Amino acid sequence: MEALKNAFDFSDQPRLDLTIAGALALFLLIFPLLPVSAFALATMIQFFIFSLYGMGWNTIGGYGGQVDLGKAQYVGIGAYTTAVLLIRWDIPFWFSMPIGVLLAVSWSFIIGYPLFRLSGHYFAIATIATSLVLKDLFEVWDFVGAARGLEISPIAYQPPDYLRLIFKEDIYYYYVLFAFFLVGILYLNWFRKSRLGFQLRAIKDNEDVARSLGINVHWAKIKTYAIATGYVSVVGSFHACYIKAIEPEDTMSLDISILIALMAMLGGAGSLWGPIIGAGILIPLKSYLKEWLGGMAGLAGMDLILYAVIIMLISAKEPRGVWGIVERWRRRKRS
Amino acid sequence: MALLAVENLVKDFGGLRANDDISFTLEKGELLGLIGPNGAGKTTLFNCIAGKHPVTAGRIVFDDEDITALKAPEVARRGLARTFQVYAAAGDLTVRENVMVGCFMRTASRRKARERADAILEDLNLTAAAPQYVSELPVAAQKQVTMATALGTRPKLLLLDEVAAGLNPGEIEEIMASIRHIHHDLGVTVILIEHVMELVMRTSDRVIVIDSGRKIAEGLPDEVARDPQVIKAYLGDRYVQEAGGGEAHP
Amino acid sequence: MEILASSIVAGLLFGMVLALVALGLTIIFGVMDIINFAHGEFLMYGMYTALLASQVLGVDPLLTLPLAALVGFLLGIACYKGFITYILRGPMIAQLLGTFGLMLLLRNIALLVFGSEDRAVHHGVLVDKSFEMGMGIIVPATKLAAAGLSVVAFVAVWLLMNRTRMGKALTATALNPQGARYMGISTEKMNALAWGIGGASVTVAGALIVNFWPVNPYVGLLFTMIAFTIVALGGFGSVPGAFFAALVVGLITEIPGFWDFLTYTLELDWMYDVPMTSFKYMWIYVAYFIIMVVRPRGLFGWKH
Ligand SMILES: Nc1ncnc2c1ncn2[C@@H]1O[C@H](COP(=O)(O)OP(=O)(O)O)[C@@H](O)[C@H]1O
Ligand SMILES: [Mg+2]
Repeated sequence: MEALKNAFDFSDQPRLDLTIAGALALFLLIFPLLPVSAFALATMIQFFIFSLYGMGWNTIGGYGGQVDLGKAQYVGIGAYTTAVLLIRWDIPFWFSMPIGVLLAVSWSFIIGYPLFRLSGHYFAIATIATSLVLKDLFEVWDFVGAARGLEISPIAYQPPDYLRLIFKEDIYYYYVLFAFFLVGILYLNWFRKSRLGFQLRAIKDNEDVARSLGINVHWAKIKTYAIATGYVSVVGSFHACYIKAIEPEDTMSLDISILIALMAMLGGAGSLWGPIIGAGILIPLKSYLKEWLGGMAGLAGMDLILYAVIIMLISAKEPRGVWGIVERWRRRKRS
Repeated sequence: MALLAVENLVKDFGGLRANDDISFTLEKGELLGLIGPNGAGKTTLFNCIAGKHPVTAGRIVFDDEDITALKAPEVARRGLARTFQVYAAAGDLTVRENVMVGCFMRTASRRKARERADAILEDLNLTAAAPQYVSELPVAAQKQVTMATALGTRPKLLLLDEVAAGLNPGEIEEIMASIRHIHHDLGVTVILIEHVMELVMRTSDRVIVIDSGRKIAEGLPDEVARDPQVIKAYLGDRYVQEAGGGEAHP
Repeated sequence: MEILASSIVAGLLFGMVLALVALGLTIIFGVMDIINFAHGEFLMYGMYTALLASQVLGVDPLLTLPLAALVGFLLGIACYKGFITYILRGPMIAQLLGTFGLMLLLRNIALLVFGSEDRAVHHGVLVDKSFEMGMGIIVPATKLAAAGLSVVAFVAVWLLMNRTRMGKALTATALNPQGARYMGISTEKMNALAWGIGGASVTVAGALIVNFWPVNPYVGLLFTMIAFTIVALGGFGSVPGAFFAALVVGLITEIPGFWDFLTYTLELDWMYDVPMTSFKYMWIYVAYFIIMVVRPRGLFGWKH
């Protein structure tokens, strides 16, 4: 009960932030009803997807300061679980999604235990390695379609199928995801003020001091890693129903893992709104760059060049992200 | 029964013996001063007691329990808190949040942790700073915050490692008043490391002197101050420091 | 038996090339504690340099090595001066993502300039020749030459770092940057130099690899990951560690060969069904993970 109250308690946030957040939430609520293109709607869905990935990453990577570059493997586990269960046994999304979370979290405990014995660069590379191993396995595993992947044929179902999450129009997906998005924010809001959240921030600051305050550092990291995994896996399951064709390359590639971390860093790792801001900037940017430049003959890769330059500029000029700028500005104003 | 008993503690770092056969006991309610020149092994002794370092040999008994093999978090949960010599509180957290981290050791409830943190802050006259980020505070206040955080864990014994280092005389008075308050009014047993001898002499019930990893003296502050071995350890140290480290010895 | 022997030989030879691939990464890490995601992209530029220069100039790809070294040296210094120096003092995540951005940049410039198709070396004194080494082991001449020249280059860089004034300054910076500064060694210059040498050695490796490995703009990432693994196994910043770790990794890439050997020896049916060649590079990651967890200081752990 107290937990639920804490999830809805935003009282430590400045009034201005809450006003802006409220206005934006309202805008997101009516967005699909506005005369917007299908492309804009699809982009917005990607924005939700990556916001949620980013929120998950933010728990362990932002609040905990553990540079995790292997989140994509859990996208894969969620997506594949849902797709396999639906295709083979007609188990609908709302059941397969928790099963996916269960599998993903179990896997996260198995590899998290040794993983968090490492730190710094060793840890970051190890997260990449684990993700790539899983991808390589899926690429040869016939049961999940190997490198061809899996396809959910929409013809087999009668959209709108709320149970299986099979829809013809994106607007359905939009609102389902919007609900996830709100729940994700509430959960993150609870998390950052929970005991675990505090412990994690102490760990990020100094592990020895954290230990002296009775915190089991290794276990706290593993638990948080599992929470991050939960977020990612849920959205992975959704991704399967939404995209309907999944393969190892586009669910588990390193690019996805990096994009997730990047999003959070750009917005401001370790802050409540950071990942959302990051996704809000990067996703539209990426998809419109691709739309405008990717299609032009002779300019293959031009969009990614611009994207790369943006990444480089952020890491050089503003590694604490947009939220870092806001915070700095606020602190200066107060003193 | 003593609250803490250290028996023949030895700690080696590779070939270096940082603690050499140190034994002492501490009664509940005492304020024990631990002094010695730089590099004597004081911090190492804390690290061994608090479970940060495994000991090479010896035994540590706290509150009738052998804690020699316990890790730092387990020691903390048994009621032994400590501060760090070169650490200021977490800069990205506010003062209140810092203290709450300590309080969360005893409760999972955010409300309780917060109430308790506020009570501690009020007790140490830090209420005004509660919403501020630690990185915005002066060093003296940061040191106070680390003490408040340690108090949040409801310790029976508090180990303070050079909390007065680098402060000006006025700030030292303030922090000493806090320590006396913690000891006297809150009933927490305290071991206080100080590099500056005078400070400890004024505050402690009893003093232990360490030099080159060995305990060289123990007793009431006045007795210890007159001990020729202690004078030698300290004057030697000071002489070397003032002369800029020449090879001359007294 | 032949399978086993040729797998070992092939693994060791490839390992020698990989040592040169990883050398630059470990030098750079030793001097400034940063890991570079764009490392494999340097290699890719080395491959293109050798390939195109040999086509345009009509010479053997092996003769283009000095040019590749020059390209790598300049590219390394340009990357350092133009970008890396600005992220050095940032948090680790900014460094990782920043060099990832650099990787995307270099990769997609290559895509823009060279196109996405595979290209391979078809002409050259070594192409399609091979040596019979006894015991039925046959080694393609390109691989043998690449391995030999890699070792030569590796030793040359090693000597450069230990015997020359400049190299000693670099090593001093790696061991103790502050001390080196007091001695009047500019950290900034040494960092740039490390990137220059690191870049040159990996592009040379690329110029050697292109003789037996087709190039496209995406080829880099695999080598980046291999280099990470080697550097971590050898102990970050350790040059001799990198060499031996590279041999180990080279052997790991031959696990499918060892598997074949076991399959024929044991004649277990299920073994035939395992698609071991598909896992070729996965073992590198598995090995990295296991060895890191068991020996966090790296396989050899000399430094750190
Ligand atoms: N973690 C460690 N590893 C190696 N040597 C250490 C370590 N901690 C302390 N030492 C060495 O042990 C000796 C005692 O140090 P320390 O306990 O910090 O002294 P003090 O706190 O009395 O100034 C010093 O010589 C120091 O260099
Ligand atoms: Mg000390």
